[in-house]
Amino acid sequence: MRKKALALTLAAVMGLSLTACGGEEGGGSKGDGVSITIFNSKVEVQSQFEEMAEEYTKATGVNVEVYYSGDTVAAHMATRYSSNDPYTISMVDAKDIYSLAGEHAVDLSGEKWVENTDYAISVDGKVVGFPVCIEARGIIYNAEAIEGITGREFKPEEYKTLDAFKGLLEELAAGGMETPTGIMKEDWSLGAHYLCEVYEEQEDVEGYISSLHAGSADLANNAKWNAKMDTFDVLKQYNYAASSPIAAEREVTEQNLAEGKIAFMFGGNWDWSVINAYDYSEKMGMMPVPQNTSDGTNEKLVGGGSKYMFIDSSENTSEEQRQAAKDFLNWIVFEADGNAFLTKECALVPAFSNMDAAALDPLSASVKKYADEGKLIDNYNYFPDDHLSRCGASFQKYLADQIDRAGFAAEIESYWSATTPVEH
Amino acid sequence: MKTNTFAYKCRQFMMFAGVATFIFAAVVIVPFVYGFYLTFTSWDGVSSQKPFVGITNYISTFSDAAYWQALGRTVLYSFIAVVLVNVVAFILAFLVTSGVKGQNFFRAGFFIPNLIGGIVLGYVWKFVFNRAFVALGNALSVGALSTSWLATTNGAMLCLIIVSVWQYAGYMMLIYVAGFMSVSADVLEAARIDGCTNIQSIVRISVPLMASSFVQCLFLTITRCFMVYDVNLSLTNGEPFNSSVMAAMHVYNQAFTYKNYGTGQAEALILFVVCAVVGVLQVSIGKKAEVSA
Repeated sequence: MRKKALALTLAAVMGLSLTACGGEEGGGSKGDGVSITIFNSKVEVQSQFEEMAEEYTKATGVNVEVYYSGDTVAAHMATRYSSNDPYTISMVDAKDIYSLAGEHAVDLSGEKWVENTDYAISVDGKVVGFPVCIEARGIIYNAEAIEGITGREFKPEEYKTLDAFKGLLEELAAGGMETPTGIMKEDWSLGAHYLCEVYEEQEDVEGYISSLHAGSADLANNAKWNAKMDTFDVLKQYNYAASSPIAAEREVTEQNLAEGKIAFMFGGNWDWSVINAYDYSEKMGMMPVPQNTSDGTNEKLVGGGSKYMFIDSSENTSEEQRQAAKDFLNWIVFEADGNAFLTKECALVPAFSNMDAAALDPLSASVKKYADEGKLIDNYNYFPDDHLSRCGASFQKYLADQIDRAGFAAEIESYWSATTPVEH
Repeated sequence: MKTNTFAYKCRQFMMFAGVATFIFAAVVIVPFVYGFYLTFTSWDGVSSQKPFVGITNYISTFSDAAYWQALGRTVLYSFIAVVLVNVVAFILAFLVTSGVKGQNFFRAGFFIPNLIGGIVLGYVWKFVFNRAFVALGNALSVGALSTSWLATTNGAMLCLIIVSVWQYAGYMMLIYVAGFMSVSADVLEAARIDGCTNIQSIVRISVPLMASSFVQCLFLTITRCFMVYDVNLSLTNGEPFNSSVMAAMHVYNQAFTYKNYGTGQAEALILFVVCAVVGVLQVSIGKKAEVSA
């Protein structure tokens, strides 16, 4: 008898879990009016997006559902498109726009917001990518920690050359902060962020990339390469984890920076989502990577539009849905609630000139300042998909002293000459 | 009712195995054949066109040095891990069937790591290797522990092996326990009366009688080690310098990160063939060693 009761209970539980799953599936089509889906690829603002979706549905009657995936953006898009179930609006990286837009994106050239931004992406002469925000890279500093040792106000613009920067590091080291820098060993930080600035700060980026493909670029004797690597060597020399740089965990490095145990780290304004988990100092900000150069690049951050939204053009999305999606993008740019959602709730740097942003975190505020002054060096968006992983691995070897600078340059050169150029 | 007609047999088959066959075909056979077709295209994973390119993907597979390195690494890792998992599992099984106090508790304890998902396991061990061991090494000033093993090429491999052994040994232990239990007490008693020592009775009596357990355990560990992905992803993620990328991870990267879907699929197929050959060989050799009591 007891066994029978147990079996019945189990069956009931399983039955319940089945209906629970079924219930969620069916929930999508409820609500009056149109229903649109949004794919959010910025995990740090997922809860903000979900709250916004509820509010938006209440205000407009358009049912909005927000999804997130732990997969890489490209892999997730591949899954959704091969199962004929694309999102109405997908938020992806710039390189994904270029690979997806030709077939899958709606032409947005006629939209009102196009005039208000410099960062929209066009493919084949049509505007297809709606820029979600501006992000930029540079050196993140903790001014409070620096001033605590030097005893005078920290002005980042005084340290744009490597010589000046190195002087400050020596001063910090002598003043008790023996290892004032941190280096993120992640391949995306080294390979896709720091290394890419070597290309992005060339005078003719496209030309330089072509010469790399052709094997004619002499990287080891390139002035920009050497300037960037000289700076990297200094960061490496003062790295708090110098004895085992590859074991440094991102969270630990950012915690050290937030709490002022170290003063500098190469990163971007997205790092705030990690830093704000710790006992951070409000007096943080971003400055250009110091370099001994006279080309002006040491006065600018590198960055631009980051994360783009496109609207699906396939027959899986109806005309009403597409219109609702366009209205949604306009809501972000032109309505007070939409403005507040992006700049206050999500704390993103807006890519539109009409949007103000008073409530940004310290890093984003720095980015906004440089962007407003026109001091952003553009991202280059056409790197081959395996550049990050392969060149990031070479960079890690350099960080761990497994290869020297000449060997590193040789590996990068041989990567490029063996890779087919990305069409664009 | 005629029972030897084709229609009757079909009905019988459909009744007993129809659903299973359908599901197997839908989730294994069809994707496999479709995947095979995709190896002849240059599909990028999202496009609606799948241009036919012949055997180009196989050519680029053979010229993909990183793939062969990953495969070689996987073979080495599998070899060491399979041997260690089975040795440890066998010893554990022997210990928990030898009548120690609380042996059921130990059995459950050793089996538990197998109930934790590979991803979670990887993150837990990453913490152990990166923080706990390092803190311990610094406190006791043991040089070998004072930096994280995960930061070096050989160290990362060693970590992967340690975690795999920890994960699988308990599961294989259960199969060996069943093997030990199936050896009848009469035979062992007869051996003891004939003057066998403990070691002799294990080597000469128990092991030959439980050959089928070895076949099962080896098959399970070999295939799992060759296909390792979850622990690889969460423990090392291929670092440092892509030197701990196993074959399955390389295939995933090739298909989804580098967006060479066809090449990735071709590489997956070759991985499958390697696995299948090793697995079938091992089972057929093992079967010959089985004796019936």
